[in-house]
Amino acid sequence: MNTKIKVNNLDLWYGTFQALKNVNAAFNEKEITAIIGPSGCGKSTLLRTMNRMNDLIEGVRIEGKILVDYVNILDSKADLINLRKKVGMVFQRPNPFPLSIYENIAFGLRIHDSIKRDELDEAVKQALTQVALWDELKDKLNKSALNLSLEQRQRLCIARLVAVKPDVLLMDEPCSSLDPQATARIEELMRELKNRYTIIIVTHNMQQAARVSDDTGFMLLGELIEFAKTGDIFTKPKDKRTEDYITGRYG
Amino acid sequence: MRNPRRTEKIAFFFLFLATLLIVIPVGLIVVIIIQKGLPAINWQFLSDMPRQGMRSGGIFPAIVGTIYLVLGAIIFALPIGLLAAIYLSEYSKDNFLTRIIKLAIVNLAGVPSVVYGLFGLALFVVFFKFGASILSGALTLGIMILPIIITASREALESVPDSFREVSLSLGASKWQTIRHIVLPNAIPGILTGTILGLGRAAGETAPILFTVAAFYLPRLPKSIFDQVMALPYHLYVISTQVPNVDEKIRYGTALVLLALVLFMNLIAIIIRYQFRKRKKW
Repeated sequence: MNTKIKVNNLDLWYGTFQALKNVNAAFNEKEITAIIGPSGCGKSTLLRTMNRMNDLIEGVRIEGKILVDYVNILDSKADLINLRKKVGMVFQRPNPFPLSIYENIAFGLRIHDSIKRDELDEAVKQALTQVALWDELKDKLNKSALNLSLEQRQRLCIARLVAVKPDVLLMDEPCSSLDPQATARIEELMRELKNRYTIIIVTHNMQQAARVSDDTGFMLLGELIEFAKTGDIFTKPKDKRTEDYITGRYG
Repeated sequence: MRNPRRTEKIAFFFLFLATLLIVIPVGLIVVIIIQKGLPAINWQFLSDMPRQGMRSGGIFPAIVGTIYLVLGAIIFALPIGLLAAIYLSEYSKDNFLTRIIKLAIVNLAGVPSVVYGLFGLALFVVFFKFGASILSGALTLGIMILPIIITASREALESVPDSFREVSLSLGASKWQTIRHIVLPNAIPGILTGTILGLGRAAGETAPILFTVAAFYLPRLPKSIFDQVMALPYHLYVISTQVPNVDEKIRYGTALVLLALVLFMNLIAIIIRYQFRKRKKW
């Protein structure tokens, strides 16, 4: 199994508050890795560091290395545009642009290439097909994306992302605003997507991590306490704190 | 014994009274001006040159002058104001310099309009040697409405949710692409609203054009931007105080045209804002 992303001795401060403490991890290609832990443990911060979204916050200081395909993306000379094209993100709240369904997906394609109309049509179709929305929405492509259901919106956001052909999908609690049925269907989608993409999902929902992921990392107070095969984490955790968390003693 | 319901009724009464007091003068102004000015309004009044020392004829050159000045002011102020607003809301960091700039803009909005007039006189008319001209007047008005446009544009830009910027950047868009394709389109209605409010202000002010462009009596249309023009607010001032024996009808007719022009612009702003709120769903 190839390592897609490697995190080496990562420390991160928001001002004087240290949000990540010496994190080391390796994320395998075309697998789903879950990061679990209680609120405020730094799991979203870790995720957002992998495509440098933390750069948007003032007062962030980062030390250590994150290698994506063996290139350190924390280097000050890193090409952020290509990094984010390669490592994309799905956010907690489904957040389509207030544009048509078609334009939502076309946006990412247009900013990266000058693309012909028929190629664009085809790319939009492919992206929607990948997230199983094409049949539902093919006649409504010019309708506003804001009229879709929450689940459809989140699928659309994933389609918008896969349209730019990334390698890695970072998912920050992608199901937290969805009902259980919709959550199950999104998880099904994630299993299909892992044939093509490396997926890292942050979730506060342990069952979700157990259901979809191959590897799981448990974080607590900015530290990555344990990182192992999902089966091992949930059946024979090595660390007492992991055991306490997954058995529901806190979190 | 205190009776909370009665206290409430009294409080409501005074709140209502205060609100009424705001409406009454506005209503009276409109009613009186329409009542006294409407008889003067006809096609000749709107399209003819003033005659007999402004005691008869029309106000056409003043209408044209005002439109030129307002357009000139907006051509100058909108691009600069919008670019400044984009810089302030999207690029600038919160530091000492930025705070000084923001403070300056707030203060600029509070400068009395006659001071803008003197400033325009000193800078454009005298220093740049534009003379008393449309150019000087439009630039002076432009500077006066800059803070309105900057403030409205900044608010419009800042009301675009950060999540849109975040998504756009996370898809690999550059900051400029994000602003150009995501932030600006969603801010345009607010920017337009501010622009039109600025237009209304520019159309109605007398003091800034007093020393920089306005002609006392010039019964012809300007040939270039270096000509003087008549303008509605100044014309109204002139025929009300400087020229004896002007028919009351003509004065109120001029006021009505000016009022209608400004209200019309504000109406457009309100319609745009309404459309914007209807569409806004985030």
